[in-house]
Amino acid sequence: MRSRLRKTALRTSALMLSLGALLTTLPALSADLTIARSVDADGLDPQKASTTQSLQVTNLIFDTLLTMDKDGSVHPGLASEWSMSDNGKSYSFTIRDGVKCHDGSVFDAAAAKASVDRALDPATVNPNLSSWGPISGTSVDGKALKLTLSEPYGPFASFLTSIQAAFICPSSVAGSEFKPIGTGPFKFASWTRNDSIKLEANTDYANVNPLVKNPGKPHIDTLMLKVIPEAVARMAALRSGEVDMVEPSLEEAADLKADSNFKVYSAELSGQQMLAAFTWKIKPLDNPDIRKAIGMAMNRDAYASIAFEGLVNTSNCPVAPNLFATDEALCATWGVTYDPEAAKALMAKAGYGPDKPLKVKLLVHKLPGWDAMHQIMQQDLAAIGVEAEIETREVAAFFDHMKGVNEKTDGEPAVWTMGMSGVDPDYLYFLWKQPGFVNMGLNADVDAMLEEQRKLSGDARAAKIHEIQKYLMENAYAIPLLSPGWGWLMASTSKVDGFTMGFSASLIFNDVTKS
Amino acid sequence: MLFLIAKRVLTAFVTVLTVIVLSGILIHVVPGDPVTAMMAQSVTATPEVMAEMRSQLGLDLPVWQQVVLYASHVLTGDLGTTIRGNEPVARLLFERLPNTFALAVSGLSVALLIGIPLGFLAAINRGRLADTAVMVIAVLGVSIPGFWLGLIMIQVFSLKLGWFPVAGSGYRNIVLPALTLGLTYCALVARMTRSALVDILAEDYIRTARARGLREHQVLFVHALKPALISIVTVVGLVFAYLMGGQVIVENVFSWNGIGRLAVQAMLERDYPMIQGFIVVFASSVVIVSMLIDILYGFLDPRMRQR
Repeated sequence: MRSRLRKTALRTSALMLSLGALLTTLPALSADLTIARSVDADGLDPQKASTTQSLQVTNLIFDTLLTMDKDGSVHPGLASEWSMSDNGKSYSFTIRDGVKCHDGSVFDAAAAKASVDRALDPATVNPNLSSWGPISGTSVDGKALKLTLSEPYGPFASFLTSIQAAFICPSSVAGSEFKPIGTGPFKFASWTRNDSIKLEANTDYANVNPLVKNPGKPHIDTLMLKVIPEAVARMAALRSGEVDMVEPSLEEAADLKADSNFKVYSAELSGQQMLAAFTWKIKPLDNPDIRKAIGMAMNRDAYASIAFEGLVNTSNCPVAPNLFATDEALCATWGVTYDPEAAKALMAKAGYGPDKPLKVKLLVHKLPGWDAMHQIMQQDLAAIGVEAEIETREVAAFFDHMKGVNEKTDGEPAVWTMGMSGVDPDYLYFLWKQPGFVNMGLNADVDAMLEEQRKLSGDARAAKIHEIQKYLMENAYAIPLLSPGWGWLMASTSKVDGFTMGFSASLIFNDVTKS
Repeated sequence: MLFLIAKRVLTAFVTVLTVIVLSGILIHVVPGDPVTAMMAQSVTATPEVMAEMRSQLGLDLPVWQQVVLYASHVLTGDLGTTIRGNEPVARLLFERLPNTFALAVSGLSVALLIGIPLGFLAAINRGRLADTAVMVIAVLGVSIPGFWLGLIMIQVFSLKLGWFPVAGSGYRNIVLPALTLGLTYCALVARMTRSALVDILAEDYIRTARARGLREHQVLFVHALKPALISIVTVVGLVFAYLMGGQVIVENVFSWNGIGRLAVQAMLERDYPMIQGFIVVFASSVVIVSMLIDILYGFLDPRMRQR
């Protein structure tokens, strides 16, 4: 009797043990999603963060006043409706009813005002301060947030949809240290720096973003954003099932695309534009014909299909496709097209040929795909008698170097490449208005046009932006290359469904389900 | 003995201070600064905003002033705050230091456990096949880069066999990085052990021991191994320093949340306070460990105490 009892007890405990083991090996039933990125956020304060990796996270926790659809049109966000005065100098945003912060407090017009005030406060040292435009006053009128501008600012509505224009809740800054408390689809749970950020679905969430289908709470319950710096290790984690989604390397993304066990996502709405530019102050690159010839030598199709494994597209404008007033067909008529023979003829006319090659530097910075692109570019240039010596720098050193190079009026001529991203063609202003980004500003005419487009809106603004783009391209100051081009890829196992990437390579998890 | 300790502590202090000053200068020699690094990834930033940030961060001061300022802060125990994220450098470092030490000690243990027997084997078989084999392994170990070995480990043990997780900082995660570090540095230990033992085996007292008719294993394990171990202790400090250096790479390969990870990220971002904080802690760890070993050696070997 006793031994039978003992046997039963033994059996039961064995059963329990194996059940326990079974349970731990079974896939978790609660919907948790783990993604691995190469770099951690540098902060979760959206008004201080500058890197895409940080803003990708803050964009999940915080909402924006307005949202943008795929065609670049502006839609409601935290503001259910908005209006602009005829002179373009005052805006009114009605804050949607029933918006709750993650700590349960109400997000109203006063909260919105406090958030704008902090974003504009010089003490915040907001890296995106200038994008907020010339705001001269903020006030609350019932349910509405009123903003007054000292002069009209065309890109304002677009900017308010961007991941840089997040609205924080007052409780975020109530204590001495910033707390990431917002109104977005995910609540902040915990952060181990350089290791992982844990977010939980916001059960009160009501969506209005046109890029999202799910009207309420995200389908997944927790979202873990891990950091795995090494690309090979990241891929191993995806293949072993340790994580559901990763930032893949370019080469791996091409492999995964062909594998039915995985999915690859590309941020077509990234707003990224890659271009080639010139040290046009240095002879002989002051001659537009030579710049054109160099542009004509560049085989963009080969860059897209070979260097970038077909994971990007060629693009024709100095501003990324999908953004306001970006007309790819129109830009194609202004810019140079790939034509090495015509390029040779232009070079010959300027006195360069096989016996007298033009020597230039090709100044670039390291990025996946870009390195291969520059090698092909070097051969392209050699084909028209331009000897380009590639000089590669790491990103911070590169832009520092370019600042000096673009200031020079003599010395060795250089062709250089860069990329820019945003949600509005106004980034032309940031790049090309004197002194410009890394001193790449052009001249007073361009400055005037760039100032003017900011004062216009609608069709008039679109026309002015076309005029600027036409000028940049007809004078071959900018040779548009590809879009997108950096940090725009994600890959998941085929179990993940519904993931999309939004503007500025933002990550949209609202519709994600995991089977 | 007290004199020896005082001398070692003083040397350690001066060494760390020199490292702070030299690294402070070197960091500023590298092109690019934290503001450019930050803005290169930002969509919009006017030159005014950048100038404002530079002056807030004190980056517009001359390099020597920045270095002196930093050194004086460090001497009062203040490592400053990071440029990205504005968090106290000391807190970030000390939160991760246990992880880094756990990995360093595990790696060192693997290196010693494999390296000492191998070196011993090579020494007693001097000139024979086993000696050559061990030395070939040693050369391989020194030549194989840690990041490559690490990636192969991930491919084999995580992906193919599924024994260990790829990334993270849990207890199961330590095995692969510790093995990677251990296998890379066991070669160094093996070489040191071999040469120490070879020297000792040529000593008169070993010949005497053999002449007295002691068995060979008694000669080896009692008379030769003990003094050999004493000289191995001195190289442990050296191995530890190498190991800490290799660890920066291995931590990144295995996403091990130690100070090496912080350092690499900080270097890409030109986060000066973070880089310098890392260098201070890193240099201090290496200096303290070698100082302790020097002192320990003094206890083990009476001749050292006279110096």
